[in-house]
Amino acid sequence: MISLAVRAGLSPGFSPTPPDDSAIEEVVTAEAGLRPPAHVTLRVTPLVEEDACVPRGAPVACLRDAPDICLVAPMPARVARITLQPGRKLTEIVLFHDEGGGVQRHDVSGSSRPAGLRALMQRAGLWPWLRRRPFGGMPAVDEVPAAILVMAVDTRPAAPDPLVAIAGREESFERGLRALKRLTEGPVLVCHAAGREDAIPAMGVRVQPVPVGPRHPQGAAGIRLHEAWPAGLDAPVWDLHAEDVAALGRLLETGTLPMNRLVSVAGPALRAPRLVRTQPGASLRGLSFHDLHPGAHVLLSGDPLGGHPAEWLAPRDRQVSALSRPEAAAPPHWLIRALTRSARPRPVIPTAALDQAFGAQIPAAAFVRALSAGDDEMAMKLGALSLLEEDVALADYVLGGEADLQGMLRVMLDRIRTEFAA
Amino acid sequence: MIRGLWTRETVALMLLAAYLPLAVFWLGHGGGAAALRLALAVLVIAGWNLVFMLARAQPPSAAALVTALAVAMLAPEGLSVVQMVLGISFGTVMGELVFGGWGRNVVNPATVTLSFLGFGFPGAPWPDFVDPVAWAAIPAALIGLASGTLPGALLVSAALAGGGLAWAGLLDPDVLPAAGIVLVLLVADPVTSAATTLGRWLNGALYAGLMALFATGWAGAAPVQMAVAAALLAALAAPLLDETALTIWFARRRRRHGRL
Repeated sequence: MISLAVRAGLSPGFSPTPPDDSAIEEVVTAEAGLRPPAHVTLRVTPLVEEDACVPRGAPVACLRDAPDICLVAPMPARVARITLQPGRKLTEIVLFHDEGGGVQRHDVSGSSRPAGLRALMQRAGLWPWLRRRPFGGMPAVDEVPAAILVMAVDTRPAAPDPLVAIAGREESFERGLRALKRLTEGPVLVCHAAGREDAIPAMGVRVQPVPVGPRHPQGAAGIRLHEAWPAGLDAPVWDLHAEDVAALGRLLETGTLPMNRLVSVAGPALRAPRLVRTQPGASLRGLSFHDLHPGAHVLLSGDPLGGHPAEWLAPRDRQVSALSRPEAAAPPHWLIRALTRSARPRPVIPTAALDQAFGAQIPAAAFVRALSAGDDEMAMKLGALSLLEEDVALADYVLGGEADLQGMLRVMLDRIRTEFAA
Repeated sequence: MIRGLWTRETVALMLLAAYLPLAVFWLGHGGGAAALRLALAVLVIAGWNLVFMLARAQPPSAAALVTALAVAMLAPEGLSVVQMVLGISFGTVMGELVFGGWGRNVVNPATVTLSFLGFGFPGAPWPDFVDPVAWAAIPAALIGLASGTLPGALLVSAALAGGGLAWAGLLDPDVLPAAGIVLVLLVADPVTSAATTLGRWLNGALYAGLMALFATGWAGAAPVQMAVAAALLAALAAPLLDETALTIWFARRRRRHGRL
């Protein structure tokens, strides 16, 4: 029964993907951009002028509602452009690489206390790499999580292996885990590939390893959380990538936050997929243009299932997916459109593929019905608060994109948040 | 951004593929009369689908062919064309189309049609199947299982419960062929059967249990008639079984995590 649960899931076809033993190139793209994730509004106060030179890791803006939380420069750079919408909503901050900028050092003396550690993470730009559930987004300044999930496994198609990413930095990873223990009273759950227990340091009862099977969505944070430690309205859970934990360890050790992360550049629009170490916010064109097939294509920040078309690598993403842009199909005849319009979204037929798309963890048909009927209460009982769009992306893929589960889940989460905030 | 293929129409086509062995054997043994019944059922169902597409903009589905096959195979024999048209119209419209088309229905339209014909024209004899047609239900179930379109837990639990009851002498072996065909065609419908794993186990067992009950207690009924009645009751009980399964699932989660 246990082995069945570990084997549940699907392996969506996506190629070409970087081979496991491919060489890792160090790349710093000439441009980088800071942009809020899709469907998130960030109100910011810029801390630098356009054309100013900033060292790597220096704050370039802070949140207007929480000035302690900073967005930092991912590389030594000159600020090219800061674009804000009315209400100081961030559109994007574009930076040009400039070798002479240097590196920002942070004072780590207070980090032995939880409050000091928190302040350091917020000041050093690590806070946006955290994500909270329920509802998603970065945690509030003073939020205390009920548990922290560290993802040392990634089962999305073409995702880079986090254990490869932290290879050689095991000490920093351990130091980061120890720091995370100070942020929560609850457990720190470390998800790792089944059979790779050796890669996770044994650190006492509060750091719990969670073995994970090889197929997607076994390694999706929401599905793991749903099984191991469900998030609730008054029990927020944070999740963080293992490489970012190693970066936190390095920050505590040296006072500088490493800004290179292992990113896979893959997809059918590429001649050769590759693994690179690059900075968050890297220009997707800069990472891929040498290898692209001629012809129309679309670059996604994130995995091919749930990624978004973008110009810059989003703060938490570790994949660039290059897809051929499908030719725009001719619009259906007006009579056909008129005769078939009432059944959108199309009904979802419960099949084994749908069950597997939720890792056989959640009663899939009941969950999809609750989502499409807008039954918040039922969806919450089924675990919607632990899930985010990326966790249902596989189900959306399986259903051929007709159901728009990601959109419906986002609408439902926003509605639940508004209702319970009132 | 990349798209898989399990849309509603893919599932309908895979179901059709699964039922092909049944259809081929049945048509092979039934000859022209069987083909005519199938053609009539397809024609009437297609007509009503067209009406609902024009009136309510509901796109038709290839699953209509599955309904037509089930009706043509299982409907009582010796009915006039008018009687058949009446029954099929009632089943298709009230069983499926008024709910919004295939995928939103709560009972299988073929089950509704057959129950209507059975209640409405009780004098008509129910069909009997030669053994090769009954055996063809097994490859049909296997194709459905392999493609994941038929609920595996339901088929396995019905087979286990049915086999157990037959072994214990509670289920007359004579009804097994008809029960098997109805199980594959009507009870294992992915839309209207239970949708949770535990619910599917219960659903299959309930169908087998009802078959045993009818086989022992319903004197004078034909095997297909009993199987259709059991399928109707099992489909009506499916939401209840799902609810039970979810209640148990919630209770287990609450015990494990202290909250939902």
